[in-house]
Amino acid sequence: MHTISRDDIIKLATLSSLKLTDEEIDSLQVDVGNILSYVEQLNELDTKDVTPAYQVTGLSNVFRKDVINSGEVSREQLLALAPDSQDLQIKVPKVL
Amino acid sequence: MTAWKMTIGIECHVQLATKTKLFSPANNDARDQEPNSVVHPIDYGLPGMLPILNREAVTLAVRAAKALNAKVAEISRFDRKHYFYPDLPMGYQITQMYQPTIGAGFIDVPLLSGELMKVRIHHAHIESDAGKQTHYNDYTLVDLNRAGTPLIEIVSEADMHSPSEARAYCSELYRLMTYAGVTHGDLYHGNMRFDVNISVAPEDSNVLGKRAEVKNLNSFRSVEKAAEYEYRRQVELLEKGEAVVQETRGWDDAKQKTISQRSKEDAQDYRYMPDADIPPILLTQEEIEVIQSKVGMLPQDYRQIFTTLSIDDSVVTTLLSSQEHAHAVYEVHKNKPEFASRVANWFASVFKGVDDNSADFASAVTPKSTDLIALAKMTADSKLSSTAAKEVFLALVAGETDSEAIAVSRNLLQVSDESAIIAIVDEVLADPASQQSVLDIKAGNEKAIGFLVGQIMKKSQGKANPSMAQKLLRERLGL
Repeated sequence: MHTISRDDIIKLATLSSLKLTDEEIDSLQVDVGNILSYVEQLNELDTKDVTPAYQVTGLSNVFRKDVINSGEVSREQLLALAPDSQDLQIKVPKVL
Repeated sequence: MTAWKMTIGIECHVQLATKTKLFSPANNDARDQEPNSVVHPIDYGLPGMLPILNREAVTLAVRAAKALNAKVAEISRFDRKHYFYPDLPMGYQITQMYQPTIGAGFIDVPLLSGELMKVRIHHAHIESDAGKQTHYNDYTLVDLNRAGTPLIEIVSEADMHSPSEARAYCSELYRLMTYAGVTHGDLYHGNMRFDVNISVAPEDSNVLGKRAEVKNLNSFRSVEKAAEYEYRRQVELLEKGEAVVQETRGWDDAKQKTISQRSKEDAQDYRYMPDADIPPILLTQEEIEVIQSKVGMLPQDYRQIFTTLSIDDSVVTTLLSSQEHAHAVYEVHKNKPEFASRVANWFASVFKGVDDNSADFASAVTPKSTDLIALAKMTADSKLSSTAAKEVFLALVAGETDSEAIAVSRNLLQVSDESAIIAIVDEVLADPASQQSVLDIKAGNEKAIGFLVGQIMKKSQGKANPSMAQKLLRERLGL
Protein backbone atom coordinates (compact mmCIF):
# COMPACT_ATOMS: atom_id res chain seq x y z
CA MET A 1 0.00 0.00 0.00
CA HIS A 2 1.57 3.23 -1.15
CA THR A 3 0.74 6.59 0.41
CA ILE A 4 1.22 8.31 -2.93
CA SER A 5 -0.06 7.18 -6.31
CA ARG A 6 1.99 6.63 -9.45
CA ASP A 7 -0.04 9.35 -11.16
CA ASP A 8 0.88 11.80 -8.42
CA ILE A 9 4.57 11.08 -9.00
CA ILE A 10 4.11 11.64 -12.73
CA LYS A 11 2.31 14.91 -12.04
CA LEU A 12 5.05 16.06 -9.66
CA ALA A 13 7.62 15.26 -12.32
CA THR A 14 5.68 17.30 -14.90
CA LEU A 15 5.44 20.26 -12.53
CA SER A 16 9.18 20.05 -11.89
CA SER A 17 9.91 19.65 -15.62
CA LEU A 18 11.64 16.31 -14.98
CA LYS A 19 11.65 13.37 -17.38
CA LEU A 20 11.51 10.09 -15.39
CA THR A 21 11.97 6.50 -16.51
CA ASP A 22 9.50 3.84 -15.34
CA GLU A 23 12.08 2.52 -12.87
CA GLU A 24 12.62 6.00 -11.44
CA ILE A 25 8.87 6.46 -11.03
CA ASP A 26 8.65 3.14 -9.16
CA SER A 27 11.49 3.96 -6.81
CA LEU A 28 10.33 7.54 -6.25
CA GLN A 29 6.86 6.25 -5.39
CA VAL A 30 8.48 4.30 -2.54
CA ASP A 31 10.81 7.10 -1.46
CA VAL A 32 8.31 9.95 -1.59
CA GLY A 33 5.76 7.66 0.13
CA ASN A 34 8.22 7.05 2.97
CA ILE A 35 8.94 10.77 3.32
CA LEU A 36 5.23 11.53 3.47
CA SER A 37 4.63 8.88 6.14
CA TYR A 38 7.48 10.30 8.17
CA VAL A 39 6.18 13.86 7.96
CA GLU A 40 2.68 12.64 8.69
CA GLN A 41 3.72 12.00 12.29
CA LEU A 42 3.24 15.76 12.74
CA ASN A 43 -0.49 15.17 12.38
CA GLU A 44 -0.46 13.52 15.79
CA LEU A 45 0.05 16.94 17.39
CA ASP A 46 -3.00 18.97 18.32
CA THR A 47 -2.46 22.46 16.84
CA LYS A 48 -5.99 23.70 17.41
CA ASP A 49 -4.97 26.61 19.64
CA VAL A 50 -1.61 27.33 18.06
CA THR A 51 -1.36 30.47 15.91
CA PRO A 52 0.38 29.89 12.58
CA ALA A 53 4.05 30.90 12.60
CA TYR A 54 4.53 33.03 9.51
CA GLN A 55 7.74 34.41 10.88
CA VAL A 56 10.15 33.49 13.65
CA THR A 57 12.07 36.75 13.99
CA GLY A 58 9.28 38.86 15.48
CA LEU A 59 10.31 41.69 13.17
CA SER A 60 7.95 43.90 11.19
CA ASN A 61 8.28 46.78 8.72
CA VAL A 62 11.80 46.10 7.58
CA PHE A 63 12.07 48.62 4.78
CA ARG A 64 14.65 50.00 2.42
CA LYS A 65 14.69 53.57 1.06
CA ASP A 66 13.94 53.90 -2.64
CA VAL A 67 17.51 54.79 -3.63
CA ILE A 68 19.34 53.24 -6.58
CA ASN A 69 22.54 51.37 -5.87
CA SER A 70 23.89 49.72 -8.98
CA GLY A 71 27.52 49.56 -8.04
CA GLU A 72 27.82 46.26 -6.22
CA VAL A 73 28.14 43.64 -8.92
CA SER A 74 28.73 44.00 -12.64
CA ARG A 75 26.74 42.39 -15.41
CA GLU A 76 29.86 40.48 -16.48
CA GLN A 77 30.23 38.98 -13.01
CA LEU A 78 26.57 37.90 -12.96
CA LEU A 79 26.62 36.48 -16.49
CA ALA A 80 29.80 34.57 -15.65
CA LEU A 81 27.77 32.61 -13.07
CA ALA A 82 25.38 31.31 -15.74
CA PRO A 83 26.29 28.04 -17.47
CA ASP A 84 26.03 29.78 -20.83
CA SER A 85 25.41 33.26 -22.18
CA GLN A 86 25.04 35.01 -25.52
CA ASP A 87 24.46 38.64 -26.56
CA LEU A 88 24.64 39.82 -22.92
CA GLN A 89 21.81 37.43 -22.02
CA ILE A 90 21.60 34.13 -20.19
CA LYS A 91 21.29 31.23 -22.61
CA VAL A 92 19.02 28.42 -21.51
CA PRO A 93 17.28 25.45 -23.11
CA LYS A 94 13.92 26.37 -24.59
CA VAL A 95 11.06 25.82 -22.12
CA LEU A 96 7.59 26.63 -23.41
CA MET B 1 -31.82 30.43 -30.78
CA THR B 2 -30.38 30.80 -27.32
CA ALA B 3 -29.49 34.32 -26.27
CA TRP B 4 -26.01 34.41 -24.76
CA LYS B 5 -24.58 36.57 -22.04
CA MET B 6 -20.87 37.11 -21.54
CA THR B 7 -19.23 37.69 -18.19
CA ILE B 8 -15.82 39.30 -17.83
CA GLY B 9 -13.42 39.67 -14.92
CA ILE B 10 -10.03 41.35 -15.30
CA GLU B 11 -6.69 41.08 -13.54
CA CYS B 12 -4.50 44.07 -14.16
CA HIS B 13 -0.77 44.28 -13.46
CA VAL B 14 0.32 47.83 -12.76
CA GLN B 15 4.02 48.66 -12.71
CA LEU B 16 4.75 50.91 -9.74
CA ALA B 17 6.56 54.20 -10.32
CA THR B 18 9.42 53.51 -7.91
CA LYS B 19 13.04 54.32 -8.62
CA THR B 20 14.25 50.89 -7.53
CA LYS B 21 12.92 47.36 -7.59
CA LEU B 22 10.61 45.79 -5.06
CA PHE B 23 13.31 44.00 -3.07
CA SER B 24 16.60 45.23 -4.53
CA PRO B 25 18.24 48.64 -5.07
CA ALA B 26 18.61 48.06 -8.83
CA ASN B 27 17.25 50.75 -11.17
CA ASN B 28 13.58 50.06 -11.88
CA ASP B 29 13.62 51.89 -15.21
CA ALA B 30 14.53 49.12 -17.65
CA ARG B 31 13.34 50.99 -20.73
CA ASP B 32 15.91 51.01 -23.52
CA GLN B 33 18.58 49.56 -21.24
CA GLU B 34 21.03 46.93 -22.42
CA PRO B 35 20.06 43.39 -21.37
CA ASN B 36 20.91 42.40 -17.80
CA SER B 37 22.31 45.85 -16.99
CA VAL B 38 19.89 46.73 -14.16
CA VAL B 39 20.05 43.51 -12.19
CA HIS B 40 21.09 43.14 -8.57
CA PRO B 41 22.27 39.81 -7.09
CA ILE B 42 18.90 39.72 -5.26
CA ASP B 43 17.03 39.76 -8.60
CA TYR B 44 19.49 37.20 -9.92
CA GLY B 45 18.39 34.87 -7.14
CA LEU B 46 21.87 34.26 -5.82
CA PRO B 47 21.95 32.08 -2.70
CA GLY B 48 22.30 34.00 0.54
CA MET B 49 20.81 37.25 -0.76
CA LEU B 50 18.32 38.94 1.54
CA PRO B 51 15.49 40.81 -0.19
CA ILE B 52 14.50 44.02 1.62
CA LEU B 53 11.17 45.64 0.86
CA ASN B 54 11.11 49.03 -0.87
CA ARG B 55 9.08 51.40 1.36
CA GLU B 56 7.98 53.43 -1.63
CA ALA B 57 6.24 50.41 -3.19
CA VAL B 58 4.09 50.13 -0.06
CA THR B 59 3.34 53.85 -0.16
CA LEU B 60 2.25 53.62 -3.80
CA ALA B 61 0.04 50.62 -3.00
CA VAL B 62 -1.63 52.68 -0.27
CA ARG B 63 -2.20 55.46 -2.81
CA ALA B 64 -3.68 52.92 -5.23
CA ALA B 65 -6.06 51.77 -2.50
CA LYS B 66 -7.47 55.28 -2.29
CA ALA B 67 -8.16 55.37 -6.05
CA LEU B 68 -9.79 51.92 -5.77
CA ASN B 69 -12.00 52.92 -2.82
CA ALA B 70 -10.39 49.99 -1.05
CA LYS B 71 -9.42 49.28 2.51
CA VAL B 72 -5.74 49.02 3.33
CA ALA B 73 -4.86 46.01 5.47
CA GLU B 74 -3.31 46.89 8.79
CA ILE B 75 -1.29 43.67 8.54
CA SER B 76 -0.13 42.33 5.19
CA ARG B 77 2.42 39.68 4.28
CA PHE B 78 4.38 38.21 1.41
CA ASP B 79 4.24 34.64 0.16
CA ARG B 80 6.27 32.59 -2.25
CA LYS B 81 4.57 31.30 -5.39
CA HIS B 82 6.67 28.52 -6.83
CA TYR B 83 6.98 27.65 -10.45
CA PHE B 84 9.77 26.58 -12.72
CA TYR B 85 10.59 28.95 -15.52
CA PRO B 86 13.88 30.42 -16.76
CA ASP B 87 12.66 34.00 -16.30
CA LEU B 88 12.28 33.40 -12.56
CA PRO B 89 15.74 32.72 -11.16
CA MET B 90 14.63 32.30 -7.54
CA GLY B 91 12.23 29.51 -8.52
CA TYR B 92 9.42 31.46 -6.91
CA GLN B 93 7.69 34.79 -7.27
CA ILE B 94 7.30 36.92 -4.17
CA THR B 95 3.63 37.89 -4.00
CA GLN B 96 0.79 38.28 -1.49
CA MET B 97 -1.50 35.27 -1.54
CA TYR B 98 -3.17 35.30 1.86
CA GLN B 99 -2.96 38.80 3.31
CA PRO B 100 -2.70 41.35 0.50
CA THR B 101 -2.08 45.01 1.29
CA ILE B 102 -5.15 46.22 -0.60
CA GLY B 103 -8.56 44.78 0.29
CA ALA B 104 -11.94 44.90 -1.41
CA GLY B 105 -13.06 48.10 -3.14
CA PHE B 106 -14.83 49.36 -6.25
CA ILE B 107 -14.53 51.85 -9.06
CA ASP B 108 -17.19 53.73 -10.99
CA VAL B 109 -16.52 53.40 -14.69
CA PRO B 110 -18.02 55.94 -17.12
CA LEU B 111 -19.54 54.22 -20.14
CA LEU B 112 -20.03 55.65 -23.62
CA SER B 113 -23.72 56.05 -22.79
CA GLY B 114 -22.75 58.50 -20.06
CA GLU B 115 -23.85 56.09 -17.33
CA LEU B 116 -21.56 54.91 -14.56
CA MET B 117 -20.90 51.18 -14.15
CA LYS B 118 -19.77 49.98 -10.76
CA VAL B 119 -17.04 47.32 -10.91
CA ARG B 120 -16.10 45.72 -7.62
CA ILE B 121 -12.45 45.12 -6.82
CA HIS B 122 -11.85 41.79 -5.09
CA HIS B 123 -8.42 42.82 -3.77
CA ALA B 124 -5.04 43.98 -5.06
CA HIS B 125 -1.70 42.54 -4.07
CA ILE B 126 1.92 43.63 -4.34
CA GLU B 127 4.28 41.31 -6.22
CA SER B 128 7.52 41.21 -8.17
CA ASP B 129 7.70 40.81 -11.93
CA ALA B 130 9.67 38.11 -13.78
CA GLY B 131 12.35 38.61 -16.43
CA LYS B 132 11.94 38.52 -20.18
CA GLN B 133 12.57 35.55 -22.43
CA THR B 134 13.26 35.65 -26.14
CA HIS B 135 12.80 32.29 -27.83
CA TYR B 136 14.95 31.12 -30.73
CA ASN B 137 14.90 27.84 -32.63
CA ASP B 138 16.49 25.59 -30.06
CA TYR B 139 17.39 27.91 -27.19
CA THR B 140 16.09 30.85 -25.20
CA LEU B 141 17.82 34.05 -24.08
CA VAL B 142 16.91 35.56 -20.73
CA ASP B 143 17.10 39.24 -19.81
CA LEU B 144 16.50 39.86 -16.12
CA ASN B 145 16.20 43.66 -16.29
CA ARG B 146 12.52 43.46 -15.45
CA ALA B 147 12.94 40.78 -12.79
CA GLY B 148 11.98 42.17 -9.41
CA THR B 149 10.07 45.17 -10.78
CA PRO B 150 7.29 46.07 -8.32
CA LEU B 151 3.74 45.50 -9.50
CA ILE B 152 0.32 45.57 -7.99
CA GLU B 153 -2.14 43.11 -9.42
CA ILE B 154 -5.68 44.47 -9.27
CA VAL B 155 -8.26 41.69 -9.35
CA SER B 156 -11.79 42.71 -10.33
CA GLU B 157 -14.97 40.79 -9.71
CA ALA B 158 -16.65 39.42 -12.83
CA ASP B 159 -18.85 42.51 -13.14
CA MET B 160 -18.49 43.30 -16.82
CA HIS B 161 -20.71 41.94 -19.57
CA SER B 162 -19.49 43.34 -22.90
CA PRO B 163 -16.20 44.04 -24.68
CA SER B 164 -16.83 47.80 -24.50
CA GLU B 165 -17.43 47.59 -20.74
CA ALA B 166 -14.14 45.70 -20.38
CA ARG B 167 -12.36 48.39 -22.35
CA ALA B 168 -14.01 51.17 -20.35
CA TYR B 169 -12.94 49.50 -17.09
CA CYS B 170 -9.32 49.20 -18.25
CA SER B 171 -9.12 52.82 -19.38
CA GLU B 172 -10.64 54.11 -16.15
CA LEU B 173 -8.21 51.96 -14.17
CA TYR B 174 -5.40 53.49 -16.23
CA ARG B 175 -6.64 57.00 -15.43
CA LEU B 176 -7.02 56.22 -11.74
CA MET B 177 -3.57 54.70 -11.43
CA THR B 178 -1.80 57.47 -13.35
CA TYR B 179 -3.70 60.28 -11.61
CA ALA B 180 -2.94 58.79 -8.20
CA GLY B 181 0.75 58.70 -9.15
CA VAL B 182 0.91 54.93 -8.72
CA THR B 183 2.40 54.24 -12.16
CA HIS B 184 3.99 56.14 -15.03
CA GLY B 185 1.36 54.43 -17.19
CA ASP B 186 3.73 53.89 -20.10
CA LEU B 187 1.61 51.35 -21.96
CA TYR B 188 4.11 51.06 -24.77
CA HIS B 189 6.61 49.63 -22.28
CA GLY B 190 4.05 47.37 -20.64
CA ASN B 191 3.40 49.44 -17.50
CA MET B 192 -0.13 48.05 -17.41
CA ARG B 193 -0.96 44.54 -18.59
CA PHE B 194 -4.36 42.91 -18.54
CA ASP B 195 -5.43 39.29 -18.12
CA VAL B 196 -9.06 39.01 -19.18
CA ASN B 197 -11.30 36.14 -18.02
CA ILE B 198 -14.22 35.61 -20.35
CA SER B 199 -17.10 33.16 -20.17
CA VAL B 200 -20.38 32.79 -21.98
CA ALA B 201 -23.64 31.32 -20.68
CA PRO B 202 -27.31 31.33 -21.73
CA GLU B 203 -28.83 34.69 -20.80
CA ASP B 204 -31.27 33.20 -18.30
CA SER B 205 -28.68 30.95 -16.63
CA ASN B 206 -27.54 31.58 -13.06
CA VAL B 207 -24.39 29.56 -13.61
CA LEU B 208 -21.35 31.03 -15.34
CA GLY B 209 -19.90 29.19 -18.31
CA LYS B 210 -16.39 27.71 -18.43
CA ARG B 211 -13.98 30.56 -18.82
CA ALA B 212 -10.95 31.22 -20.93
CA GLU B 213 -8.26 33.59 -19.70
CA VAL B 214 -6.61 35.77 -22.33
CA LYS B 215 -3.26 36.80 -20.87
CA ASN B 216 -0.91 39.70 -21.26
CA LEU B 217 -2.91 42.26 -23.21
CA ASN B 218 -1.20 45.63 -23.19
CA SER B 219 -3.71 48.00 -24.72
CA PHE B 220 -7.36 48.89 -24.11
CA ARG B 221 -8.09 48.14 -27.73
CA SER B 222 -6.67 44.62 -27.56
CA VAL B 223 -8.75 43.97 -24.41
CA GLU B 224 -11.89 44.90 -26.33
CA LYS B 225 -10.92 42.97 -29.46
CA ALA B 226 -9.90 39.85 -27.53
CA ALA B 227 -13.23 39.88 -25.65
CA GLU B 228 -15.14 40.25 -28.92
CA TYR B 229 -13.21 37.38 -30.45
CA GLU B 230 -13.68 35.11 -27.40
CA TYR B 231 -17.40 35.80 -27.34
CA ARG B 232 -17.73 34.72 -30.97
CA ARG B 233 -15.49 31.68 -30.48
CA GLN B 234 -17.24 30.46 -27.35
CA VAL B 235 -20.77 31.03 -28.68
CA GLU B 236 -19.84 29.15 -31.84
CA LEU B 237 -18.59 26.18 -29.77
CA LEU B 238 -21.66 26.16 -27.53
CA GLU B 239 -24.07 26.39 -30.46
CA LYS B 240 -22.36 23.39 -32.05
CA GLY B 241 -22.98 21.58 -28.77
CA GLU B 242 -19.28 21.52 -27.91
CA ALA B 243 -17.70 22.50 -24.60
CA VAL B 244 -15.49 25.48 -23.87
CA VAL B 245 -12.23 24.31 -22.30
CA GLN B 246 -11.00 26.18 -19.26
CA GLU B 247 -7.61 27.37 -20.44
CA THR B 248 -5.10 30.16 -20.88
CA ARG B 249 -5.02 31.85 -24.26
CA GLY B 250 -2.76 34.44 -25.85
CA TRP B 251 -3.73 37.30 -28.17
CA ASP B 252 -2.24 37.50 -31.63
CA ASP B 253 -2.61 41.15 -32.51
CA ALA B 254 -1.63 40.69 -36.16
CA LYS B 255 -4.23 37.98 -36.71
CA GLN B 256 -6.76 39.55 -34.28
CA LYS B 257 -7.46 36.20 -32.62
CA THR B 258 -6.76 34.33 -29.41
CA ILE B 259 -4.66 31.18 -29.40
CA SER B 260 -4.67 28.34 -26.88
CA GLN B 261 -1.56 28.36 -24.69
CA ARG B 262 -2.10 25.85 -21.94
CA SER B 263 -5.06 24.10 -20.49
CA LYS B 264 -5.96 24.38 -16.83
CA GLU B 265 -6.18 20.59 -16.82
CA ASP B 266 -2.49 20.50 -15.96
CA ALA B 267 -2.96 23.35 -13.54
CA GLN B 268 0.16 24.42 -11.72
CA ASP B 269 0.58 23.66 -8.07
CA TYR B 270 2.27 26.79 -6.84
CA ARG B 271 2.99 25.51 -3.30
CA TYR B 272 2.31 28.92 -1.76
CA MET B 273 4.08 29.45 1.54
CA PRO B 274 4.90 32.45 3.70
CA ASP B 275 8.13 34.17 2.68
CA ALA B 276 10.22 33.96 5.81
CA ASP B 277 12.66 36.58 4.48
CA ILE B 278 10.14 39.41 4.51
CA PRO B 279 8.65 40.46 7.83
CA PRO B 280 5.01 41.59 7.74
CA ILE B 281 3.96 45.12 6.85
CA LEU B 282 2.09 46.84 9.69
CA LEU B 283 0.35 50.10 8.84
CA THR B 284 -1.51 52.36 11.25
CA GLN B 285 -4.63 54.29 10.27
CA GLU B 286 -2.68 57.52 10.80
CA GLU B 287 0.06 56.46 8.37
CA ILE B 288 -2.52 55.42 5.80
CA GLU B 289 -4.33 58.75 6.12
CA VAL B 290 -1.12 60.77 5.76
CA ILE B 291 -0.19 58.91 2.56
CA GLN B 292 -3.68 59.09 1.09
CA SER B 293 -4.10 62.78 1.88
CA LYS B 294 -1.32 63.44 -0.66
CA VAL B 295 -3.26 61.87 -3.52
CA GLY B 296 -4.36 64.72 -5.75
CA MET B 297 -7.48 65.05 -7.86
CA LEU B 298 -8.79 61.84 -9.41
CA PRO B 299 -10.55 61.54 -12.79
CA GLN B 300 -14.01 61.83 -11.25
CA ASP B 301 -13.03 65.17 -9.66
CA TYR B 302 -12.00 66.63 -13.02
CA ARG B 303 -15.02 65.07 -14.71
CA GLN B 304 -17.31 66.85 -12.28
CA ILE B 305 -15.81 70.24 -13.17
CA PHE B 306 -15.62 69.60 -16.92
CA THR B 307 -19.28 68.67 -17.16
CA THR B 308 -20.10 72.22 -16.03
CA LEU B 309 -18.27 73.59 -19.09
CA SER B 310 -20.13 73.68 -22.36
CA ILE B 311 -17.97 71.07 -24.06
CA ASP B 312 -18.74 67.76 -25.72
CA ASP B 313 -18.50 64.48 -23.80
CA SER B 314 -15.96 63.34 -26.38
CA VAL B 315 -13.81 66.38 -25.53
CA VAL B 316 -13.96 65.47 -21.83
CA THR B 317 -12.94 61.90 -22.63
CA THR B 318 -9.97 63.01 -24.71
CA LEU B 319 -8.86 65.46 -22.02
CA LEU B 320 -9.04 62.88 -19.26
CA SER B 321 -6.81 60.42 -21.08
CA SER B 322 -3.94 62.52 -19.75
CA GLN B 323 -3.84 63.77 -16.19
CA GLU B 324 -1.53 66.59 -17.25
CA HIS B 325 -3.95 67.79 -19.90
CA ALA B 326 -6.89 67.56 -17.52
CA HIS B 327 -4.96 69.47 -14.90
CA ALA B 328 -3.90 72.18 -17.35
CA VAL B 329 -7.54 72.82 -18.25
CA TYR B 330 -8.46 72.69 -14.56
CA GLU B 331 -5.84 75.38 -13.84
CA VAL B 332 -7.17 77.57 -16.65
CA HIS B 333 -10.69 77.08 -15.30
CA LYS B 334 -9.57 78.03 -11.79
CA ASN B 335 -7.94 81.28 -12.92
CA LYS B 336 -9.94 82.30 -15.99
CA PRO B 337 -13.09 80.18 -16.16
CA GLU B 338 -14.24 81.98 -19.31
CA PHE B 339 -11.31 80.48 -21.26
CA ALA B 340 -11.64 76.87 -20.08
CA SER B 341 -13.87 75.57 -22.90
CA ARG B 342 -11.72 77.16 -25.56
CA VAL B 343 -8.56 75.56 -24.13
CA ALA B 344 -10.31 72.21 -23.64
CA ASN B 345 -11.29 72.20 -27.31
CA TRP B 346 -7.70 72.88 -28.41
CA PHE B 347 -6.50 69.87 -26.46
CA ALA B 348 -9.25 67.72 -27.88
CA SER B 349 -8.66 68.84 -31.46
CA VAL B 350 -4.97 68.00 -31.24
CA PHE B 351 -5.13 64.80 -29.19
CA LYS B 352 -8.41 63.26 -30.26
CA GLY B 353 -7.78 59.92 -31.84
CA VAL B 354 -4.11 60.01 -30.89
CA ASP B 355 -3.27 56.65 -29.35
CA ASP B 356 -2.21 57.20 -25.71
CA ASN B 357 0.21 54.44 -26.40
CA SER B 358 2.00 56.26 -29.20
CA ALA B 359 5.33 58.01 -29.25
CA ASP B 360 3.59 61.20 -30.46
CA PHE B 361 1.55 61.28 -27.28
CA ALA B 362 4.51 60.54 -25.06
CA SER B 363 6.69 63.26 -26.57
CA ALA B 364 4.03 66.00 -26.40
CA VAL B 365 4.63 68.70 -23.79
CA THR B 366 1.75 69.95 -21.66
CA PRO B 367 1.73 73.75 -21.99
CA LYS B 368 1.83 75.89 -18.83
CA SER B 369 -1.53 77.30 -17.82
CA THR B 370 -0.16 80.85 -18.05
CA ASP B 371 0.71 80.26 -21.72
CA LEU B 372 -2.71 78.75 -22.32
CA ILE B 373 -4.47 81.69 -20.70
CA ALA B 374 -2.37 84.17 -22.70
CA LEU B 375 -3.22 82.30 -25.90
CA ALA B 376 -6.93 82.19 -25.07
CA LYS B 377 -6.89 85.92 -24.30
CA MET B 378 -5.23 86.81 -27.59
CA THR B 379 -7.83 84.75 -29.39
CA ALA B 380 -10.72 86.27 -27.45
CA ASP B 381 -9.35 89.76 -28.21
CA SER B 382 -9.29 88.87 -31.93
CA LYS B 383 -5.53 89.21 -32.04
CA LEU B 384 -5.35 85.69 -33.42
CA SER B 385 -7.60 83.88 -35.87
CA SER B 386 -8.72 80.41 -34.80
CA THR B 387 -6.32 78.84 -37.29
CA ALA B 388 -3.45 80.92 -35.95
CA ALA B 389 -4.39 80.03 -32.37
CA LYS B 390 -4.20 76.36 -33.22
CA GLU B 391 -0.77 76.90 -34.73
CA VAL B 392 0.46 78.55 -31.53
CA PHE B 393 -1.07 75.74 -29.47
CA LEU B 394 0.78 73.15 -31.55
CA ALA B 395 4.02 75.07 -30.97
CA LEU B 396 3.37 74.99 -27.20
CA VAL B 397 2.72 71.25 -27.36
CA ALA B 398 5.98 70.84 -29.27
CA GLY B 399 7.78 72.42 -26.30
CA GLU B 400 7.97 76.12 -27.13
CA THR B 401 6.93 78.63 -24.48
CA ASP B 402 5.44 82.15 -24.37
CA SER B 403 2.34 82.25 -26.58
CA GLU B 404 2.80 85.91 -27.48
CA ALA B 405 6.40 85.44 -28.58
CA ILE B 406 5.36 82.45 -30.70
CA ALA B 407 2.58 84.46 -32.36
CA VAL B 408 4.96 87.32 -33.09
CA SER B 409 7.83 85.20 -34.37
CA ARG B 410 5.49 83.32 -36.71
CA ASN B 411 3.89 86.57 -37.87
CA LEU B 412 0.42 85.41 -36.83
CA LEU B 413 -0.98 88.45 -35.05
CA GLN B 414 -4.06 89.87 -36.73
CA VAL B 415 -3.93 93.47 -37.79
CA SER B 416 -6.58 95.30 -35.78
CA ASP B 417 -5.04 98.69 -36.34
CA GLU B 418 -7.74 100.71 -38.19
CA SER B 419 -5.42 102.87 -40.26
CA ALA B 420 -3.50 99.84 -41.52
CA ILE B 421 -6.71 98.08 -42.52
CA ILE B 422 -8.20 101.20 -44.10
CA ALA B 423 -5.13 101.42 -46.32
CA ILE B 424 -5.77 97.88 -47.55
CA VAL B 425 -9.51 98.55 -47.96
CA ASP B 426 -8.74 101.55 -50.13
CA GLU B 427 -6.25 99.56 -52.14
CA VAL B 428 -8.84 96.86 -52.81
CA LEU B 429 -11.55 99.40 -53.71
CA ALA B 430 -9.18 101.08 -56.16
CA ASP B 431 -8.46 97.80 -57.90
CA PRO B 432 -10.30 97.59 -61.27
CA ALA B 433 -11.09 93.92 -60.50
CA SER B 434 -13.26 95.08 -57.61
CA GLN B 435 -15.44 97.43 -59.60
CA GLN B 436 -18.12 94.92 -60.57
CA SER B 437 -18.57 93.96 -56.90
CA VAL B 438 -18.79 97.58 -55.85
CA LEU B 439 -21.53 98.13 -58.44
CA ASP B 440 -23.34 94.96 -57.27
CA ILE B 441 -23.23 96.11 -53.66
CA LYS B 442 -24.52 99.54 -54.53
CA ALA B 443 -27.33 97.83 -56.48
CA GLY B 444 -28.27 96.15 -53.22
CA ASN B 445 -26.49 92.79 -53.55
CA GLU B 446 -24.76 92.70 -50.17
CA LYS B 447 -23.39 89.22 -50.79
CA ALA B 448 -20.67 90.76 -52.92
CA ILE B 449 -19.18 92.21 -49.72
CA GLY B 450 -17.83 88.74 -48.99
CA PHE B 451 -15.75 88.80 -52.15
CA LEU B 452 -14.21 92.15 -51.21
CA VAL B 453 -13.49 91.05 -47.63
CA GLY B 454 -11.80 88.01 -49.15
CA GLN B 455 -9.61 90.27 -51.26
CA ILE B 456 -8.69 92.32 -48.19
CA MET B 457 -7.75 89.15 -46.27
CA LYS B 458 -5.68 87.99 -49.22
CA LYS B 459 -3.80 91.27 -49.49
CA SER B 460 -3.13 91.27 -45.75
CA GLN B 461 -1.90 87.66 -45.96
CA GLY B 462 -4.69 86.57 -43.68
CA LYS B 463 -3.73 88.87 -40.86
CA ALA B 464 -6.43 91.52 -41.09
CA ASN B 465 -9.12 91.15 -38.47
CA PRO B 466 -12.00 90.04 -40.72
CA SER B 467 -14.83 91.68 -38.77
CA MET B 468 -12.96 94.95 -38.62
CA ALA B 469 -12.22 94.75 -42.34
CA GLN B 470 -15.91 94.27 -43.05
CA LYS B 471 -16.90 97.15 -40.80
CA LEU B 472 -14.43 99.56 -42.43
CA LEU B 473 -15.40 98.40 -45.89
CA ARG B 474 -19.05 99.11 -45.17
CA GLU B 475 -18.16 102.57 -43.84
CA ARG B 476 -16.18 103.35 -47.02
CA LEU B 477 -19.08 102.23 -49.20
CA GLY B 478 -21.49 104.31 -47.13
CA LEU B 479 -23.61 101.28 -46.15
